[in-house]
Amino acid sequence: MPRFFSNKRLIILLVGVIVLVALIAFSLRDRNHANVPEQAVKDVVGFGQSLVTKPAHFVTGLIENIDTMLNTYEENKRLKKRLETYAAMQAELVDVKANNVKLRGIIDKQEDLRAFEPIQATVISRNPDQWEEKIIIDKGTTAGVDVNMAVMTAQGLIGKVILSTPFTSTVELISTENSDFRVAAMVVGQEEMFGLIEGYDRTSGQLIMKRLDSSFNVKKGMQVISSGLGGIFPKGILIGEVTEVSTDDYGLTKLAYIKPAATFSQLDHVMIAKRSMTVVDGTDGGNSATTKGDDES
Amino acid sequence: MIRFIIPLIAILLFFLEPIFSLFSPIEMNGNLYVTVPRFLIVYLIFIATYYTSKRAIIYGFVLGLLYDMYHIDIIGLYTFMYPLICYVAALVIRQIERHTVTVMVLSVVMIVLLELLSYFFASVIALTSIDFGEFFTSRLVPTMIANSLFIVMFGYMFKQITEKRFLQKQAGF
Repeated sequence: MPRFFSNKRLIILLVGVIVLVALIAFSLRDRNHANVPEQAVKDVVGFGQSLVTKPAHFVTGLIENIDTMLNTYEENKRLKKRLETYAAMQAELVDVKANNVKLRGIIDKQEDLRAFEPIQATVISRNPDQWEEKIIIDKGTTAGVDVNMAVMTAQGLIGKVILSTPFTSTVELISTENSDFRVAAMVVGQEEMFGLIEGYDRTSGQLIMKRLDSSFNVKKGMQVISSGLGGIFPKGILIGEVTEVSTDDYGLTKLAYIKPAATFSQLDHVMIAKRSMTVVDGTDGGNSATTKGDDES
Repeated sequence: MIRFIIPLIAILLFFLEPIFSLFSPIEMNGNLYVTVPRFLIVYLIFIATYYTSKRAIIYGFVLGLLYDMYHIDIIGLYTFMYPLICYVAALVIRQIERHTVTVMVLSVVMIVLLELLSYFFASVIALTSIDFGEFFTSRLVPTMIANSLFIVMFGYMFKQITEKRFLQKQAGF
């Protein structure tokens, strides 16, 4: 039976453990900022990663294409029915938009919370040990991506940027367990009903919207969009649909469960919303220490 | 030529892991199952078995460091766990016969060990709040099954490559 540890190895191991614990403590302290060596590693690894991921996306795209081709006939029938109503709605939308521009001109208001500049990006990797819901995209500060910007797909909001280096950015998905992840949102109905998306129910796969005033008449099936009042996200990004309404722990405000409009697996192309209007570090910027204090007071 | 193939495969597997995790979580009967790709550690265990354990530990350290810096943003988790797993695997393999099947089984056991360690660290740092039962059913078992498939498909190839390199080295290249 050989000895498991010789003296020299034991010392190396002990020193190693001490150094690593120190490193863990050091890097845990400030996870939302990357220092220069970290940025360099992220950019270089990210470049290599995108070389491997982009062909992989191409292959999965091909398979998806074949898959959709098989369903074409059924889908075509269904879509044709919807197309008739679509044309009417399109005409109405154009009319309403033109009207909006005209009215804005009259009251001389140019800026809009809704306006944003989209930045297209490709997802290059997802955190393989999926303790945290993080993805990495191939655009960074050089493309104008900055921390706390909203990230979405064609279906709806998926998350926000939590870290950006010159050529990559890390995005935390909205389906995270992190309780500091908040989105200022509103339920669209006759009136605008404001609340905060806070938390995700893992078992049912639904988002939880809190702090809805109890006088609001929230109903099942209503749509939830970002309100733009959190300071960073533009207004009007679709988040999901209300599936259940109840009261919160203290019975003072309402709480709604929201089925997200976007899916979080198999992400490939995403869009980052760079808001045109002034950005302030409010509720959407979960990193700010003041946000927490505001809620508790 | 084969000299460069060994680290190249390691780097390729390092880049393949995050692509496969894009497909996760898998939904089945209304339940979500998380499968964690652990390709790199399997390959490192094969290197530790058929080539040298020292080489496996060095690769584990370097790639673990990159993994931490790129994905986790906490330096020191995989930098510590990858070499540790390689070391333990090398210790175990010394005691048993080096048959391909035993190495494959050992790889699965080591993946379980790595998952347990990573669960332990994630709960200590409070990245996760799931209890052990849920961890076991929704994460550990699916991960084991998915990685077993990978091991069965590529284990023999890994053995061939690493063994070839070992023989080449002994011949004095």
